[in-house]
Parts: sequence; structure tokens; C-alpha cells
Amino acid sequence: MRRVPFIFVAFLAVLWVAPLGAQQATGTIRGRVSDATAKRPLAGATVTFGSRGALSQADGRYILTGVPSGTDSLRARMLGYAPAVRAITIAGGDTLTVDLALTAQAVGLSEMVVVGYGQQTAGNLTGAVTQLGAAEFNPGRIISPGALIQSKVAGVQVVDNNEPGGGLQIRIRGTTSVNASSEPLYVIDGVPVGSGSGGGISAGRDPLNFLNPNDIETITVLRDASAAAIYGANGSNGVVLITTRAGRRGGPQFEYSTSVSASSVTRLPTMLNAAQFRTAVTQYAPQYLGQLGSANTNWFDLVDRTGYGQDHNLSVSGAGDLSTWRLSFGYLNQDGVIQGSTAQRLSLGLNYSQRLFNDRLSVRTSLRGSRTLDQFTPTATGGVLGNAATMGPTQPVMDPTSPTGYYEWPGNSLTSGDNPVALLALDKSHGTTYRSIGNIQGDWQLPILNNALTAHLNLAYDVTQVASVTFNPSITHPEQKFGYLGELWHNDNQMTNTLLDTYLSYAAPTGVGPGSLDLTAGYSWSGSHAEYTSLYETHLSTDLLGDNGIPTSTTGNVTNSSPIQESRLISFFGRANYNINDRYLLALSLRRDGSSRFGANHSWGVFPAAAFAWRLSQESFLRNVHSLSDLKLRVSYGRTGNQAFPNYLQYAAYQFGNPQGQVLFGNQYVTTIRPGAKNPNLKWESTGSLDVGFDFGFNSQRISGTLDWYNRKTDDMLFLVPVDPSTNLSNFVWKNIGSMRNRGIEMSLGTQLMDGGRRGFSWSADFTVSHNTNTLLSINPADSVTQINVGGISGGVGTTAEVLTPGQPVNSFFLCRQAYQNGKPRQDYYYSVPGDTVVKDVNCVKNRQPMHDPAPRWILGHSSHFTYGDLDFGFTLRAYLGNYVYNNVASSSGDYRELSAGTSPYNLHASVLATGFTVAQYLSDYYLEKASFLRMDNVTVGYSFNYSGQPMRAYATVQNAFTITGYSGVDPTAGINGIDNNIYPRARTFTGGLSVRF
Amino acid sequence: MNTGASRAIAVITVLVAGVALACTDTLVEPKSTVTEANIFSDPNSYKAFIAKVYGGLALTGQQGPTNQPDILGLDEGFAEYVRVWWQLNQLPTDETIVAWGDPGLPEINTQQWVSSNVWVYAMWSRIYFQVAMANEFLRQTTDDKLTARGNVNDALHAQILQYRAEARFLRSLSYWHLIDMFGGGPLVTEADPVGGAPPSAAARDSLYRFVVSELNAILPALPAPGATSYGRATQWAAQMVLAHVYLNAAVYTGTPAYDKALAAAQAVISSGAYSLAPVYRNNFLADNNTSPEIIFAVPFDGTRTQTWGGTTFLVHAACGGAMINANYGVNGCWWGLRLKPQAYYRFNTAADHAAGDTRSAYFFTTGQDTAVNSISTFTEGIAAPKYSNLNSVGVAGSDQTFPDTDFPMFRLGDAYLIYAEAQLRGGGGTAAQALTYVNLLRGRAYGGTSGDITAPQLTLQFLLDERSRELLWEGHRRTDLIRYGQYSGGTYLWAWKGGTQAGVATGSNLDLYPIPLNELSANPKVKQNPGY
Repeated sequence: MRRVPFIFVAFLAVLWVAPLGAQQATGTIRGRVSDATAKRPLAGATVTFGSRGALSQADGRYILTGVPSGTDSLRARMLGYAPAVRAITIAGGDTLTVDLALTAQAVGLSEMVVVGYGQQTAGNLTGAVTQLGAAEFNPGRIISPGALIQSKVAGVQVVDNNEPGGGLQIRIRGTTSVNASSEPLYVIDGVPVGSGSGGGISAGRDPLNFLNPNDIETITVLRDASAAAIYGANGSNGVVLITTRAGRRGGPQFEYSTSVSASSVTRLPTMLNAAQFRTAVTQYAPQYLGQLGSANTNWFDLVDRTGYGQDHNLSVSGAGDLSTWRLSFGYLNQDGVIQGSTAQRLSLGLNYSQRLFNDRLSVRTSLRGSRTLDQFTPTATGGVLGNAATMGPTQPVMDPTSPTGYYEWPGNSLTSGDNPVALLALDKSHGTTYRSIGNIQGDWQLPILNNALTAHLNLAYDVTQVASVTFNPSITHPEQKFGYLGELWHNDNQMTNTLLDTYLSYAAPTGVGPGSLDLTAGYSWSGSHAEYTSLYETHLSTDLLGDNGIPTSTTGNVTNSSPIQESRLISFFGRANYNINDRYLLALSLRRDGSSRFGANHSWGVFPAAAFAWRLSQESFLRNVHSLSDLKLRVSYGRTGNQAFPNYLQYAAYQFGNPQGQVLFGNQYVTTIRPGAKNPNLKWESTGSLDVGFDFGFNSQRISGTLDWYNRKTDDMLFLVPVDPSTNLSNFVWKNIGSMRNRGIEMSLGTQLMDGGRRGFSWSADFTVSHNTNTLLSINPADSVTQINVGGISGGVGTTAEVLTPGQPVNSFFLCRQAYQNGKPRQDYYYSVPGDTVVKDVNCVKNRQPMHDPAPRWILGHSSHFTYGDLDFGFTLRAYLGNYVYNNVASSSGDYRELSAGTSPYNLHASVLATGFTVAQYLSDYYLEKASFLRMDNVTVGYSFNYSGQPMRAYATVQNAFTITGYSGVDPTAGINGIDNNIYPRARTFTGGLSVRF
Repeated sequence: MNTGASRAIAVITVLVAGVALACTDTLVEPKSTVTEANIFSDPNSYKAFIAKVYGGLALTGQQGPTNQPDILGLDEGFAEYVRVWWQLNQLPTDETIVAWGDPGLPEINTQQWVSSNVWVYAMWSRIYFQVAMANEFLRQTTDDKLTARGNVNDALHAQILQYRAEARFLRSLSYWHLIDMFGGGPLVTEADPVGGAPPSAAARDSLYRFVVSELNAILPALPAPGATSYGRATQWAAQMVLAHVYLNAAVYTGTPAYDKALAAAQAVISSGAYSLAPVYRNNFLADNNTSPEIIFAVPFDGTRTQTWGGTTFLVHAACGGAMINANYGVNGCWWGLRLKPQAYYRFNTAADHAAGDTRSAYFFTTGQDTAVNSISTFTEGIAAPKYSNLNSVGVAGSDQTFPDTDFPMFRLGDAYLIYAEAQLRGGGGTAAQALTYVNLLRGRAYGGTSGDITAPQLTLQFLLDERSRELLWEGHRRTDLIRYGQYSGGTYLWAWKGGTQAGVATGSNLDLYPIPLNELSANPKVKQNPGY
């Protein structure tokens, strides 16, 4: 491995310190290329004069040096624009400044799209890449950046967990892994965050919440392997590139935007009311009748609320000839619709860029820091929502005789619901996350090779500090009945990631050979150091300290730990783009990654990709079809990796026991050590992806769209594989064994249906359609193990509702097909497997079968945006088809035996009235429901006006305006695994806002 | 352009790039954990490791009560050695029934398991975890390695030699469980490398010979009982394993060894190291570590040895119905374990326990039916809360969730009954001595001679029944029934045997548990037991 860097260094050294070329009697032409109407700089335009050529930079500047004296045509051309030609005469030694303005023909094609380690014009993309700008983001109360693109990008499924700022899960082209992460890689201003895929650490909500959505300029999603392969071992799940807003020319300009919002609960589980509960107890658990009170309490009503929120953003930005800057400040506070849950964020951001040395050196820096404060609804023993479901509705809320003042069932029984209002009032759980990401990037146009070579350096840090506390005072009922007598958790986690990227990009002179060539080659080093310090203690000597301080434990039952997690990823990468007349486009990339997570026998992996695009619309036989502004066929294949699994899996570590895991050794207690299994063969999961797609556009891109078909096969998936425990130190060892396939189609269509100009009626509409089929191909080298039970549910111990089995989608439900009689489900009777006849099968032991899965077959999205004069109106619709949800609230509380399962009766789910079950039927497919839905994600009305000569906009947004679904539970988008077990309910949010520029 | 600045930038860039590119080392070793490279730099690690091999019988992982599990792929609290071993030896018999419908459990209740049963897999994994830990201990403590490390003084070296014998004891104990429950299985010792290809299964009789030779070989190196050996291997604990192995030799190998069984039991009895606890029940209470009768116990502790298996399971699960949890020193009942009627009737119990056998005095009958019409209803079947977290003077243990009660794996009463049975089966000794030993237990049970039996009453069937009365719910019943040929088949039926309340005949293949499916896939050389 030493050879490669040596050659690389030699290559760089030769290029970079080569003597500056001898001066000749030639001239220099410099200037800017801009859009004639929008007056904004155009990057990536090809400027030629005679045999000399150059590309314009991000700020539109170009420079042609070594131009032979004489008269020739200065030409600028760019995809989506009409070419500009100007006759220029230049004398030796002259420096001319010529600015060129291009007139747009099909703007969408010329847009600059951020890609890995660079940017490209949209029209020349060879991969499946979607970029959204701020105007296309979802409006309303958005806390996590990922939610901005929900329903907007074909092939991207954004699953939110309904809490304010709750953790988002994003699946790009389906789930690609079982035991490593399936989350995409996030890259913010060129800095990959987290220490693998995903967004880093937090106190419990989305780790990207540190980033104020108001500071985001664009979000780009790299969906296919040819685009993502430049990120190698982190690219398998797709890549989300986030670019923050930079300063705009002029200024200083202030922008202030604010909004207020109110959220309310949409749906909650339907439990028995007091009268129904009493009737049920009378019939099925008469021994508890004496315990019933006379109250009529709807516990859910007591734990939900209208959640209010406010948001303020202030920014000031500007730009001079040589520098741009933007400083922003944000404050957000949002209450959840369940009491006790709140998200608050303070954020600060600075972007600054400066050009130096006659534009040869460009330095950009981005610094952002934030503090997020999260309050969590208590989670003790089933949590507030679980206990609101199971606590008896006949019981009162308050009880002056109890030590807490809140009513609890008599006795410290192990098995009954607890008063959720007491938990809310007494338990405390909150976290604070400080996070800062900063980087400095330098791009240096080297004064050699005709200025075609640019060196890039990116140095970045990402520091997160998380402190969270959970405190359950000793007087609460769960603490008493479980005998913990007060519990306290402290978590202080820190993560520091550092990054160094350096690469060279080379744009070969035009006019040499039939096309243009761009080369990029570089090196990347990133390291992560994290410490997860935690304390847990029980038997608190006092409740007086509350969630501050650490009281003594009366029994000394204290567990401390502070594991250190470190990882490193070292990479070499290169890319070549070859473009012949914007007609034939070829892209090749290669990345070689070395990761500290790989076993000794596999320290380095290679991830290649190739893509070819043919722009048919440039061909002569289609040139005459004037309405056709773009038609491009793309084919790509690439191999990406997934190293988002825990550190140190390959090491045989000795683990120490904790104080509760000691062993009596004669007359003394001894803390034990245990050797672990080792695996020197561990490596990345590997995904090979084939993508075939079309990009098309009509009428100067007024109608444009893409259509993609893909087939992704993931191999070497990590599974804990059963091994012979006799010759190993464990019965399971991690092995790269499984494989899985995702196959699907994606279509997106953007249309400008009506264009009424500035004052007239305009309507633009976007549509996305995604279809994905996931199939698990193998999970084990031997055929005898064909099922891994997953998807733990509430009810029994270790009961699971899902399965990993070859031939079925990942996390398919694994249940028994319910038999019915007279329209009612027949208790303990299911359809047999095989045979399909009705048999008695108590507990559904023998006849489980894979059926359906939580992932939608189809995801449809539609956004419309209307403007008329100063008014605008928009909405976003989303539909899922073919997704299933297991209603665990109904199944775990859906039988009369629950009434007598404890020492006081549990409340029951209303489904028991229909089923009449007297014993739990956890594994009946009665509880598996089709959860297809149509949801109005958001509707917005806005009004733009001038006040004191300054532009302003006022708007109102409703998020989650309505959902049409046949699903009977709380939310048809019940998490990625489709198990609805007292999930946080979905809110409907009304937001009113105002933005001002001055 | 300013050439000075340009050169400066060039130099800096090249330096940065050069330094960076030289960094291609991806090795990041764990910092906050130790590996085999340095663990034994600390001489205390030897004791910590042998304690882990013992801990494998009591704990489910490195953190009590849960976390960092030893056995993966199963609910951690389920996969505790004593709990799994106890369930597999009690639930399919006429003694015990459990109400729960957790995966795999109903099939164990009714002799209807298949090779994918998670409890069977848990047992197999637990047995081989013990074997693997013991083997690794032996590998790490060879004289060569100890010498090479250079930090083992003579005193520690002597201790380590005893630890090595203890590791071999624990390995033999688990191999015996393997022989008893699964028949054959890979015979792996410290000579086999970690991660090597697993060997094919050794036959039942060769495992038998291995266990017998190992136990006999380590006897001299094991200590006599004393304060420092509670919960650890002693010579007499090893003799008890031998006594059981010999007593069942006819089942394991086809060749009886009753004489050796009798000799081993006699050695334990004559050692004088043990005496019957004056009160039978004291062997099963929170302070049973003070019982003079217990030869080998698996210790649990409310604050220091916490698990969801072991006596936590035995105390909580046997509690339910109208029982008051505080009367057993725990904070709740799990509504699980009861007696099958056949076991209850064996005590010939009248409503007034004092008149009869006090070994059933703790049975809880209020609100409990004798018959088990529904397996899942706790109040059907007499409750038998034999294990309790109250101590002998009625004070609760140190924690209300995790009892202090130790699990008595071998005790003197068992040795008496082995002697008597081996004598009756022609293993030597005297009939009078056998009768004396049985009546010692009867005398304690009846608080006098009222329950004594006469020589003609001492039959093999009587001894089987007496073992059930004396050793009820102590994990011996399945082995005993198999030795008597009454476990599978139709000669003896009990409630829910084979899945019906009246009981039906079951296949003789059930005398052995199936080899778990996971093992068959991981080690194709292992063949399934007949009939599965």
C-alpha cells in the first residue's frame, strides 16, 4: 500500500512545483460570464478564443492566458443557453477584460448541481442526481433538514417519527442493509458528518437538527452508484449533499423571518371508555370489580395538548468584488403535542469567502454552531402513551392519600398500568446538544498547464457534545413496584470528527481532441473520536436534587462507563469526465478506502463506477424537433460500500463485568472477564448498482423529467451468523454473508403548466413516482437456517412479528392467517401452512408465514405551486401504496385476559369489542393492516407585498392537513418497521409566518 | 501573481499533501477495552476469568441483570443456564407446568418440541459456552504461557493449578448435561484451536468416558469444602457428578455402573463434610448458603449477582393467584409455574400438612385447583413456591427483584437416594444402609418416625417417587424418569404429556433433545438425533 501514495506524492510534486512557464509575447483575456436576464454569474461556461479555452468559475470569472496576439472570436457557450460570440483583437502583453452575457434557452440544464468533490451542470450529469433549492423545500414548521425534501424526490423515502425534531430515517432506493445502517451519508458543505453513514450523535432527536433549515441553499441527493461511488465505503445508502447559503452581491442586506405555529393531535388509539371497561371487568375479571372507581377519565386527553411554536431567523449578508459573507442567527422553540416534549434550538452560522492573488486563490470558510435543548416525554415502563392506553378509565387522576398526590392502583403490584399524568409531572428527561461544524476550503488555480489545474484543500472539524439526564424520583409508582426506588441516568457524550481532503482537478484545454476532459484525483483522511460517558444509579438516597446533581445510592447500585470509540477512514479517489459536444458524456470514478473497521485481512476496498450518457437531443435527427429541449439516455454501473457498523467488531476484546454481574467465588465476590470472539475477515457491505435512465425536457424545459430503472444488489451483508459454539467463544459471529436486492423505477416530472408572467396566473406542478421491490436473497451460508425473527413487539417476552427470510422483502411480517367465523375472527384458529385449511394452533406456533412488509410498494408525490399577482398558493400531496402496519396497541391490549393478567386490570383496546378474544392473539394477521394512504403534507397561502419600499411576504401553512387511509391505528407511517406500538401521534400544524428583507 | 506568495503556497500545499498521503495506516485498536494481548498482564485476571466460567452458570452476560450477553440470538433473561436446564428437565415431566406462551415454551410443557425450539438451542449454546470458556481458560494458563508472562509467582501458580482443575470440573459438568440431554456432540478440549473447524460429534459413550476420566483425574487437585470453596468445585462436588453419571450409565452407554455410583455417593456421605439441614425448606431460602447439606450451589445475590434466570425465575414464576408476593420476599409474581396433579398427589397430602410430609408444607392451595384444565391459567394446578427470597427467619433478601437464594445443584439428600437406588439395582452396599439413608430423609420430612418405611417398602418405584418428593423441582425429574423408562412412551401418562390433558404416549426419540437447527447449519458434520 505504500507504493500508491509515493507515486501520488511524486505526481503532485511534479505538477505543483514545476517551474512557472517562461513568459511569451501573448495576451490575457479575463472577465465574467453571466446570465443576461437573471444577472447572476454562470459557472461552467466554456470560453474559447482561438485554440485557448477555459471554464468559468463559480463566480462566473474566467481567465485565458497565453493568448496569441491577433483577432479572433471570443466564444462562450453553455448548455441551456444560446452561445455568445464577440470579435476581439488582442496585442501581445495586453490584458483585456471582456464580460459575456448569455441568454437562457432551457435554464434547468445549466443549473449547477453539487456533486461529490465538485459541481456539474445539470445537463451534463451522468448519474441519477436530484437537487432541490430553497424554493422547492417543504414549508411550515420544519425542524430537521431532512424533512425539507419529504415527498419531493423520487426514490427517497423520508420517515419521521412525529416528535418535534424527532429522528428522521431516510431510505434512498430502499433498505440496503439489515445490521449496518441504511441511512444515507450526509455531506454538509463538503464535510461528511457522523462517523459512517448517518448524521452524527445527539441527545436523542435528529442529529442534523443542529443545522437551521433556514440556512440551507440546496439539498442534493445522489441516488445511483455512479454518483455516490466517489464516497466509496460510505456510499451504498446514497448521499445527501447539503449546501448552506452564501452571501449575495450587494448589501449588507438584512433578512428576518419569523413564524408561529400551533399543533394538535390527529389520531390516538381507541381504548375502552369507563363504561365499557366496567362492563368488561364485570364479565371477565369480576374479582377486580372492587378496585374500580367511579371516575370517567380519558387518559389520552390528559397527556396531549396543543403544541405552540415560534421561530426567528435573522441574517445579514453581502458581497463585494472579492468576498462574500453571510451571518445568520436562528431561534426555534416547538412544543410537541404530547406533554413534556419540546425542541428548542439556537443556531449561529457564518459563511465567508475571499478571493486572493488575482483570483487564483479562493478561500471559503463555513462555521456553524448550535445548541439544541430537547425535552422528552417520560418513558418509564411503557411510557406516558403506553400507560395512557392501559390505565383504567374508571380511575381518578388524583388521590390525596397517595405519596405523590396522584392516583395509582392499590398495592405495589408488578402488573398494571401506571398513572401517566403522574409520570408526566414527576419524571424528568431532557438533553442538551452542542454541535459545531466548521471548515476552510482553499481552491488554488495553479499557474501552470495553461491554468487548467486547480488544487483543492478542505480542512474540517465536527464537534458534538451531548448531555442528557433522565430522573425518575423514588416516589413514583413504577420505581416503587419494581423496587428501583429512584433511578437516574446521566449521559455525557462527545464526538470529535476531523477531516482533511485534498484533491487536484484538471480541466483539459478545449480544442485538443474531440471533447473536453475533466480529471479529479485526491486523498481524504477522516478520523472520529468519541467518548460515551454514562452513569446509571438506582435506590436514590434523596429525590430533592431532582435532575441536578448525583445523589448517593443507598445500595451503591451505580453503573459508570466511559467507552471510547475511535475510527478512521483513509481514501484515495479519482474521477474522469469526458464530454464530446455535450452529446456523449462519459464518467469514470474510482475510490479506494481503508477503514479501521475492516478486519486485518481486508483493510482496503476498491469502489469503481462508470456512467455513460448520450444526449439524443443533440443529434441531428432530433435537432429539428424544436419542442424537444433535452433528451438524454443514461446508463451507469457502480459499486459502493457500507461501513456503517460498530467499531472493533474484528477484535477479540475481554469484557469486564459490572457490579451486578459479579460471581461469588468462595467467600468473596469477583468481577469477571470474558473473552470475545474475533473476526479478522470482517469487511464492508458491498452494493453493485445498475441504473438506466432518461432525462427529457420539452418547450425549453417547461416540461422536464427523468425516468430511471435500477437494480441494486447488496452482497457481503453483515449478519450475526450462528457458528458452532464448541470451537468459538460465542454462538454467533459477525460475518459478511447476506445478500439483498432492490429493484425499482422512479419517475419525476416538473411542469410549468401556466406561465402568466409577473402579474398573471402561473401554475407549476411536480410529480414523483417511485416503485421499489426489496428481496432478501440470502442470510446464511447454509440452507438450514432460513429465518431470523425480528421486529420485537409488546406482548409476551421476546415475541417478534417480522422475519428475515430469503425470497421475501426485508422485515416481512411473519404471522398466522386468521380464520373467521360469521365475520368474526376465530380465536386460536388459523389457516395451516401448508394446506391452507383452518386448524387450531394455540399461540400461532406452527403456521406462521411471511406476509406483506412495512415498505411501500409505490410512493407518489405531487407538489403544485400557483401564483397570481402577489398571491401564491402551494400544496404537497403524498401517497403510499402497499405498505402494511402491525397494530401492536390493538394486539397487546386486545383480549379480555389482559384484565386479569395483572393484579389490577389493564384497559383494553376497543378492537376487543369486535373480536371478543379472551386470550391474546399476538401473531394473528387480524392486527396487520394495509396502511396505504393519501396525505396532504402541506398547504400554503402566501402574499408578497412592499412595506416602506421593502419586500415582504406573509404566509400561512397547514402541515398534515388531512390523511385518507384505511388504517385504523394512530399513523399509517408508523416508523420504518411498521410496528405501531404507542407511537408518538402525528400532529396537524398551523403555521403563520412573515419574512422581511431590508 | 506575487511569486513569493505563490511559492509559499506551493510549498505549504506540497507539505500538507505529502504528510497526508503518507498517512495510510488504518489500524485503530480499541482503547477502553483490553484484548488477549494484555489482559494477563494483570495477575488478578486469572481469578476473574475462572470466576466467569462459574458465572456462566448463573449470569446471562457481563452485566447483571442484562447486557453484553454471552449467548446471542435469544432473549437474554431466558438464556440463563440454571433456568434453561431446569425448564428442560422439569417442564416435560409430571412435576411441573408453566402458564406462559412464550415462543417454544408450550412445546416443552407438552413434549412437542422440534429442532428449531429456542430453549433447546439456548441449552446447547449454554453448555458449549461453558466448554469454550473452560477451554480458553486452560489454553491461557498452560505452564508455557505462565512462564512466558513472567508475572506469576509460586503462590499464584499453585492457585492457578487449582483453577485449572475447577475449569475441568465445570467443563465435565456441562458435558454431563450434554450427554444427558442431547446424547452426543462435538468433544472439544483446550487442544482444539479457537475458530478452528468444528469436529464431528462424539458418540454418547465416548463423551461418557471423557467425563469419567476427567473427573477422576482432577479429584486430587480439588479442595475439600471450606469457607473459600462455597459455590466452587470440591472433591465431593466432583464425586456427585460422577455419582449421577454412573447411576445413569446404563442409559448413556448401555452398560450399568451402579457399583461406581454407589461408591461415589458413599464417598460423599462418608466424607462427613455434610449433614442434613434440620429444616428441609432451609435448603431453598435466601440464606441457603448456610445450609450444611448443600454440596454444590450456583450462587445468586440480590445486589451483586443479578439475572432474570436462576432463582429470580424460580421464585417469581412460582408465585401468582392469591399468593402475596411479599410472603416470598419479592416485589411481584410472574404467574407461571405450578404442579401437575400427578406430582401433587404423590405427597398424599391431606389438608393438614402437619399430619403428613412437611416437604409439601409450602404448597399453596388457596384458589388453586388440583387439575390443570388450561395450561395458561395459573390457578389451575397447585402452586409450589419451593424457592423463596425470605430467609430461614422470615426476613427478605437484599433485593426484592433479584433473590439472594442460591440454586442447590447437589445436596446430601440426593446422595442418600443415589446410594439407595444403586444398592437396590445391585451396585453393592447393604440394604440396611440404604433403608437408613432413606429413613433419614423421611424422618426429617415427617418430623419423627411416623413416615419411616420398612425394608419391603423400599422398592425401585418407591425410590423414584421418593426422589420426586425429596428433590421436587430441583432439576432431576427428567433424568430419573428416563432411567426408569417412564419418560416417553405410554407406560406412564400424566397431564398434558403429548399435548392432551389426559396425556398420550409419546415417541421414544424424546428421551433426547434434538440437535438445534443452528448447530446443524454451523457444523454440517453433526447429525440430527434419531426421530427428529
